[in-house]
Amino acid sequence: MSAELGKAWTIARRDLRGRFAGLRLLIVCLFLGVATLAAIGSLTNAITEELANRGQAILGGDLEIAVAQREATSDELAALKQAGTLSETLRMQAMARLPDGSDTQLVELKGVDDAYPLYGKFTLESGQSVSAPQPQDIYVTPALMQRLSLKTGDKIDFGEASFTISGIISEEPDRLSEGLSLGPVAITSLDSLRATKLIQPGSLFESKYRLKLPATAIPREVGDRLSEQFPNASWEIKTRDDGAPSTRRFIERMGQFLTLVGLASLVIAGIGVGNGVASYLRGKQGAIATLKILGADSAMIFRIYLFQIMAVAIGAIALGLVVGALAPLAIIQIAGDVLPIKPEFAVYPLPLLVSALYGLLIAVIFALPPLSRAKTIPAAGIIRGEGKSWRQIDRQSWIGVGLAIAAIIALALGTANEPLFSASFIGAAAAILLLLTALGALIRWLASKAPRPKHPLLRLALTSLHRPGAQTGQLVVALGLGLTLFATLAAIQTSLTNEIRSTVPRDAPSFFVLDIPVERADEFRAKVAETSQDAEVNIVPTLRGTITEFGGQRVSELETLPEGAWVLRGDRGLTYSATIPEGSEIVEGEWWPKDYDGPPLVSVDEEQGAAMGLKIGDSLTVSLLGVEIPTRVASFRKVNWRNFGFNYVLVFPPSVLADVPHNVAATIQLETAKEDSLLSILPQEFPSISMVKVKEIASQIGDILDQMATAIAAAASIAIFSGIAVLIGAIAASRQARVYDSVILKLLGATRAQILTVQAIEYALLAFLLSMVALGLGLFAGWFVITQIFEFTWQPDWGIVLLTLGIGAVATLGIGLLGSIPVLSAKPARALREL
Amino acid sequence: MIQKTAASSDAAIVEPHIAIAARNVTLSLGEGKARVDILRGIDLSIEEGTTVALLGPSGSGKSSLMAILSGLERASGGEVNIAGADFGTMNEDQLAVARRGRVGIVLQAFHLLPTMTALENVAVPLELDGQPDPFGIAAKELTAVGLGDRLGHYPTQLSGGEQQRVAIARAMASRPTIIFADEPTGNLDGATGEKIISLLFERQKATSATLLIITHDPELAKRCDRIIELRDGLIERDSAA
Repeated sequence: MSAELGKAWTIARRDLRGRFAGLRLLIVCLFLGVATLAAIGSLTNAITEELANRGQAILGGDLEIAVAQREATSDELAALKQAGTLSETLRMQAMARLPDGSDTQLVELKGVDDAYPLYGKFTLESGQSVSAPQPQDIYVTPALMQRLSLKTGDKIDFGEASFTISGIISEEPDRLSEGLSLGPVAITSLDSLRATKLIQPGSLFESKYRLKLPATAIPREVGDRLSEQFPNASWEIKTRDDGAPSTRRFIERMGQFLTLVGLASLVIAGIGVGNGVASYLRGKQGAIATLKILGADSAMIFRIYLFQIMAVAIGAIALGLVVGALAPLAIIQIAGDVLPIKPEFAVYPLPLLVSALYGLLIAVIFALPPLSRAKTIPAAGIIRGEGKSWRQIDRQSWIGVGLAIAAIIALALGTANEPLFSASFIGAAAAILLLLTALGALIRWLASKAPRPKHPLLRLALTSLHRPGAQTGQLVVALGLGLTLFATLAAIQTSLTNEIRSTVPRDAPSFFVLDIPVERADEFRAKVAETSQDAEVNIVPTLRGTITEFGGQRVSELETLPEGAWVLRGDRGLTYSATIPEGSEIVEGEWWPKDYDGPPLVSVDEEQGAAMGLKIGDSLTVSLLGVEIPTRVASFRKVNWRNFGFNYVLVFPPSVLADVPHNVAATIQLETAKEDSLLSILPQEFPSISMVKVKEIASQIGDILDQMATAIAAAASIAIFSGIAVLIGAIAASRQARVYDSVILKLLGATRAQILTVQAIEYALLAFLLSMVALGLGLFAGWFVITQIFEFTWQPDWGIVLLTLGIGAVATLGIGLLGSIPVLSAKPARALREL
Repeated sequence: MIQKTAASSDAAIVEPHIAIAARNVTLSLGEGKARVDILRGIDLSIEEGTTVALLGPSGSGKSSLMAILSGLERASGGEVNIAGADFGTMNEDQLAVARRGRVGIVLQAFHLLPTMTALENVAVPLELDGQPDPFGIAAKELTAVGLGDRLGHYPTQLSGGEQQRVAIARAMASRPTIIFADEPTGNLDGATGEKIISLLFERQKATSATLLIITHDPELAKRCDRIIELRDGLIERDSAA
């Protein structure tokens, strides 16, 4: 056997000898597909690895204990100090004001102690590494300097304190673990922050205690021990190995989605591989028959050409891997600022290996059928001048194809974070491929059964669709997939654009205002009315707390949180209300009477209730400021989360929470012209408040959606390139037959314009039929991505979707006709001698 | 696996010194109404070392008979024994292996492998047969056909006559018992064709192989020991030249 393999390899190598021309399509398709997958995998790995490597700096310690709306008690502090070196920070939203009151800006204000940062470097633009600023000094980011036209040494006020800007922040090491910020950052010392008097019972702030642990300590164990010691502390504990879990989750999910898009590109590329191999082997028919005459059996033929194709495939894959591995370097250079963290460039073997395996398996799946047919080319064909004797694919090849498909599915599911999601994606992609293949067969069949048109050009175009050797099947799949991708992308892009537009509904408020002292709520309302008579003010109590128990289960005892129950993660906003809140409706249970004073009840958002498996009457305990409040579920509400008002998962009767120290928050809706004056007046009158301009949040969300849309388009454009390569390949494959037609038609007196018309009719027929199919498939795929993956509203722009599809169809028609130019220029006399 | 030294399973049609034995060979293509009977019962026996010309008008079945005798095609019926191997019972792959070292074929359109040099083209059948020193043998064979200085040339770098010489060297290299030549001069001009035919006979004499040559040329046929004429799938005349 090895001698046979040796012979096959020798002949294969000699026969190939750098002449890859016939396998160009295979090289292009595999290269594109593998490079895409390798680039996506490498970049995702680079980011997640960077998150893990810099875990201590990102988190600010080996262990972080965060608690909302309070500082640690002296007992807690003592226990923390015993566990390791402690650093304490406080963080809140606050309004920065110029001393003359002329301008204000919402700021993420952070107080740090002298131990900050325990890991990483807190650096200023001057290059200096610093810790907490001197008393009454503050470091600010360039964004705040620019926004308020400040310079170093200027004064700035927060609450009741005034600060001098003594440095511009270049790098805040724990920025990523601080989560979404609603404004630029300013950092002062803990005592200076306390001097603002913004930290009051009920005000919205977060205390974080970071610990540098001894080298032998295991952070998770230390965290568990502290939790056991203070079971009611409502701490949110993070360890250095997962400092920014939401960023990691986002990157992993996006990476997985893009990988699947890349895999879809590779499948399209696979069709190109199949067509490329089939056309290469057709060109080798003479050589195959000759080798058979010289004594090669079918197994030898199979081996020779398998070696050749796999050698070229491996070369293309290797090239794809090199480009894919280097791509993150370019992406980091070009778009590093939009990435959540700028990773160091490194080569990651695992994603490269996975991409190479995908490439190799796709090459096997699509190359085996034509190879299997080629080995049956009869030696006698050479004497008869036959080219048609391509036979059926044998059983071993089908088994090989089946095994390779199984291996791809296993690889996709084995490397997926969410196997079910990956499985449904693969299933959908396979269904689309099968559907288009079936459609190709149907079009051929219909064309053969349709009545013959009287016009000769029309008749010729119709028969071109079904005659022996017609590439209709390949064209339908390639064109269909290309157009489907166009429609899908247009639907996704326009839906995301509309999502950005509708992020801020027309009746959305102009401002969110936080931390209004509850006793000054009426005064606040009156002050807003002074500025604008028509302003609408909606005031709600606001507290923060954590769910510690639901339906009899302690959250701290759960190994994993129930899927989708994000409300159990960390502390959440809570409120109380005597009436059903605006934007909510009761779907189960009953709302409490206005003056309810019975046992504690709670109303829960229906989706989160379902995720936690709650029923009416079940228990639910929340912890506020270290005190646990057991309640019973009284009702489930359907919440309109998109109205940009204050929406809460948990709403309690006033009797349950009114006595807990808290502030109120407000939404204000008023005409745009008055927004700026309100922004300068209110912080002067109410120094403790934070005002969030809704438009600014919307633009932040818009930026994120925009980046997502760009990433999807970039990954999918590779699929489109592959589709075009496949299309060109399919057109090229049918060229010989078309040259023959063209020559015969010329002999019979047809002009070049008439010949071109025949082909235009043929492609137009296909493009029209496929546009209809692509519209349906693309809209379904787009709907799935938008509603099921991103959980946004399905709101594509139909005009743009149809226009994109139209342009796509015309473009493919154009490519097809361009491909026909060499056919038109065939000289009859010469062509007839050669054909 | 068929060994080329294997004895025929059908002793009845094979006698010593018989290179080609065919009995009642038929070939039909297509089915039902489309069925065409190309060979309708050929009986033939050719002794080793003989040169035979196969004549006949187009469509008489010459190429089909050669395809069956050289193992390129299976007969629809009858018995075929080639150099001691029962070709009639073999499948396509067994025929391919059986051809190695037993049968050499020269075709009108040369059919050299365009991606390989002259030397490599000649070496391929020897390599497939697992013979030692395939390149040494190939070089000698090419030198014997006058192409010792063209070993590294690709087919496109050779003239038609040179390409056909390479094809002859390739057919002869494994010292087959029988050489089949299907209109070997059909693609060549008269003078070159004449040289090729002379070379073919010269090499046949040097190797003592049996030569069966398809031709339309009566003059060429006269140079053979025996002339067989086909018409409508049957042997019309079988005579000494």
